[in-house]
Amino acid sequence: MPPARLQLARARSPRPGERVAQAGAALSAGVGLRAQHHAEILARRPSVGWFEAHSENYFGAGGAHRSQLTRIRSHYSLSLHGVGLSLGSTDPLNVNHLRELKRLVREFEPALVSEHLSWSSVGGRYLNDLLPLPYTEEALRHTAARICDVQDALGRQILIENISSYLQFECSELPEWEFLSALVGESGCAILLDINNLYVNSMNHGFDAHSYLYGIPAAAVQEFHLAGHTLTRCGGRDIRIDTHNSHVAPEVWELYGTALQRFGARPTLIEWDADIPALSVLEAEAAKADAMMEAFRAVAA
Amino acid sequence: MLSLPELQARFAATLFDDTAASPPAWIRAAGIAPELRLGIYRNNLEAGFANTLALEFPVIQRLVGEDYFRQLALSFLARHPSRSGDLHHIGAPFADFLRAQYAATCYRYFADVAALEWALQECLVAENDETLEPSVLQAVPPHAYCGLRFGLRKAARLLESAFPVVRIWEANQPGATTAEIIDLAAGPEFALAHRSTGGARITRLSAGEFALLSTLATGLPLEAALDASLACEPRFDLRVALHRSFELGVFAHVSLITERS
Repeated sequence: MPPARLQLARARSPRPGERVAQAGAALSAGVGLRAQHHAEILARRPSVGWFEAHSENYFGAGGAHRSQLTRIRSHYSLSLHGVGLSLGSTDPLNVNHLRELKRLVREFEPALVSEHLSWSSVGGRYLNDLLPLPYTEEALRHTAARICDVQDALGRQILIENISSYLQFECSELPEWEFLSALVGESGCAILLDINNLYVNSMNHGFDAHSYLYGIPAAAVQEFHLAGHTLTRCGGRDIRIDTHNSHVAPEVWELYGTALQRFGARPTLIEWDADIPALSVLEAEAAKADAMMEAFRAVAA
Repeated sequence: MLSLPELQARFAATLFDDTAASPPAWIRAAGIAPELRLGIYRNNLEAGFANTLALEFPVIQRLVGEDYFRQLALSFLARHPSRSGDLHHIGAPFADFLRAQYAATCYRYFADVAALEWALQECLVAENDETLEPSVLQAVPPHAYCGLRFGLRKAARLLESAFPVVRIWEANQPGATTAEIIDLAAGPEFALAHRSTGGARITRLSAGEFALLSTLATGLPLEAALDASLACEPRFDLRVALHRSFELGVFAHVSLITERS
């Protein structure tokens, strides 16, 4: 169970009859959990606020990684972050995947459960990537209904994360922040705001990140993500790719500062999923996020 | 306007099949050609798939080299795309794919090496179950031994190959230093993939041990398993083989069902 010193995450006010996420993630910075760090975490117990695990990495029924997660959970608060539920897909919801997720949620009692505003399969074939949705009424109704199905199956609210994207669809009718806000209204889900993805998209698609920050309902934002991205060239133009393989960029830290002013402190995750560095590097990034939250609180107080 | 199902079907078709692409008018160009934008997603799909496959089959990758492995992974992707939101499952049909691909060639052994590697992957995440302790046999009177039926642990897989696959697997581990030349005719070999502290490992079995364990795994009693062992290894020593099996932690449970009781 989470240590007592953790504060409760501020959930938005529940509507009648609505099941709200079991709060409990610290209002502090956490680190993405990778298997190569399991042993060190258990041996050294770093002073990280919490860990976030990719749900699918622990779908196997047994084995060393799962046992280690059980032990890590006994010392830290946990968030489960899914990458494969394919919420926006028009294929039927994958009941096996949902069953595995439900089993994991029941066993590990995570403070937060999240998925992406994306799709990844069609006709039973999975691309195992976070693919963008067109922002249309049809996609909104479809995705909201699927989120409701998942929330009903899990018996709790889930957080939906904005993804990085490298294209936009001709048929999109709404800016992403309006789509996401409508999704919150329709499904009662919360928002996991990935500050890096927001920055990447604002640069790739040329919109004002501040319009996004001020365009989504503040109370629905329950977690932030921070990660590194890569600037590359495509067709003679700059494009930013969400690679999660480096330090958080200075521009993203700056936008995080703006997000703190807009939303207040929220559990903030350092994600680093490729070219994974020593745990101490992740701890230092998390400490930086903690310091910014602390500075924000000092000013606000 | 494209419906959501149509849009997703076209998106996936364009990524899975290069030839399907007419210029996708449903994507905003906005300074970068839609084909190039889709190309980013195609790279993600291919790299994610090939990298995951390489993590699951490091020995095959080492045998064929990184560049060829990537080509192999892409032709495997075209035939066996992922069917799950959990990418870890993609390797399941890889051994059969290699078997068909290299059936009539001197690379026939690739399939058996891949089967060994997949067995290890399965053992890593198999359900946890208790290891049977040899002391349970103390209560069994000697005349009842032939009726014992042993259940194998979930994290145990038996494999046989006409090729010396265990030697090939060992020679291609990261720490292996010997540049041993392995004679492909030096098979057959028998292997047990099983979980041990800190991971999964491969243990070489004798023909008799393999016959014993694979017969027990089908649910037949010890007597039938011993017959199978003696048939392929006339000097098979049951006592030694059972002792070793317990040491390796192969068994999960045992029951005594006598035919005539």
